[in-house]
Amino acid sequence: MNDTSGTIAESAADPFLDASREGRLLAAECRACLHLFLPFGPVCPRCWSINIGQRELSGAGEVATFTVYRQSYHPDFSVPYVLALIALVEGPRMISNVIDCAPELVRIGMPVTVRFVPRGDLVLPLFAPDSSPTRNPEPQGENP
Amino acid sequence: MPRKAVIAGIGHTVFGRLEGRSVRDLEIEAIRMAVADAGFARADIDGLITDPGPAQPVIEGIEPHYLGLGRQLGIDPDFVGTEVLGGASSVSSVQRAVMAIEAGLCSVCLCVYGDTALSASGSFSYGRGAEAVFGFFGATGLHALAAQRHMARYGTRPEHLAEVAMAARANALRTPHAQLKRPLDLDGYLASRMLAEPLRRADCCLISDGAAAVVVCAADRLADLATPAINVLAMGQAHSLSTIANADHFDQTPAARCGPATLARAGITAADVDVALLYDCFTIVVLMQLEAYGFCQPGESGPFVTGGRIAPGGELALNPTGGLMAEGYGGGMLHVIEAVRQLRGTAGARQIAGARLALVSGHGLGMNTHASLVLGG
Repeated sequence: MNDTSGTIAESAADPFLDASREGRLLAAECRACLHLFLPFGPVCPRCWSINIGQRELSGAGEVATFTVYRQSYHPDFSVPYVLALIALVEGPRMISNVIDCAPELVRIGMPVTVRFVPRGDLVLPLFAPDSSPTRNPEPQGENP
Repeated sequence: MPRKAVIAGIGHTVFGRLEGRSVRDLEIEAIRMAVADAGFARADIDGLITDPGPAQPVIEGIEPHYLGLGRQLGIDPDFVGTEVLGGASSVSSVQRAVMAIEAGLCSVCLCVYGDTALSASGSFSYGRGAEAVFGFFGATGLHALAAQRHMARYGTRPEHLAEVAMAARANALRTPHAQLKRPLDLDGYLASRMLAEPLRRADCCLISDGAAAVVVCAADRLADLATPAINVLAMGQAHSLSTIANADHFDQTPAARCGPATLARAGITAADVDVALLYDCFTIVVLMQLEAYGFCQPGESGPFVTGGRIAPGGELALNPTGGLMAEGYGGGMLHVIEAVRQLRGTAGARQIAGARLALVSGHGLGMNTHASLVLGG
């Protein structure tokens, strides 16, 4: 049940991953209502139009939430690593990893920017902090 | 004339590592017990709804789960189904039985959970779809994303999560059939191995072999019953299928919609609930449901559970058996069964004196599904 080969093969045809290989972060864009969304799909989840294009995103976003895996569930992933939900500034949200940051310094609300990183046969959009995170972060507010 | 459906029978196997038992063998043991408990015989059964556990195929080849079990049981029912709501499936199976009976489609319906997840090979650290390429594995990592949000927004601490785990372990000590009868203190909780921060092994439910069954029947068959029937006072479901596109996805479960709606249908509030059987796959899910159902205000579940409020003898009777975290992973059918026992007054050392209203919840998949029942004696 740990086999991810099927999902990776399936994902290879994704315009999202094709663009990532070229160093571009793409979202699906509804031509009817201009809604931007991820993951790519054949229908706009906001207006159900099937007239779907794509738009390149800035790659800027923030950590909406995250977890630090301390238990390894797959030989390709050595722990610890940071799995995060990234809220991109243009609106779409995506699961990715936070890199170039000590796991204990990752915070909800931390501004991050995309980095394109080869992993296996793929190039994945991962995210690094915009500035060096400090060891004494600001106290977190009620609603990050 | 409309018929009313009631819960008439319960039965379950032991839970734990049951090497050498097949899932069919376990399911049939639970079914025989539940049918006998209700005072029915094989010939009375005209409905079958199955809830295959996490290691069981919903469809094997072209054969849906209910067909394999129904053939083994040698029955030709008037109504069938297999629930696919993940951890909400036991609760939804009872709901489906109630709806079928009240619509007149059948009159004595079995709801059956079974699995051999503990002795089966493989694990539950499956990749989460296309996002497995980022190392997104298992249910623990997913619920950790919700726990992290809860901690950041509300100041919830590991000590609060620990209260849920410790209460479950303490409750299980009064449950003769519990799979995990080992007390847990705060030091033990904090020493528990970190899996996906902030969730430790002690935040997770068990994996179990076992089966559990419930008989739902039309109230006009009550003359057949050996024991008093339990009334279904309200039912509800709510689901979140838009997942991470929804900015609230990790901030609340669909219980935030399902809970208040279901309690309102029953004409009650959380304060009226005598015993709560809340789906407890992870400690954080219990905290989020306490808020969703209105046992406390949003964000206040951490302080709410502090000081033994959900421990045995506490102000809120929550999962008296120890639930998924200590009694055993029974889908959610063991939660339904304990609600019935409490309302019958047959819960032994765990009995909540005078229990008249029970709430049962189910939560499933990637925080996508939720179902609830309000039951009354």
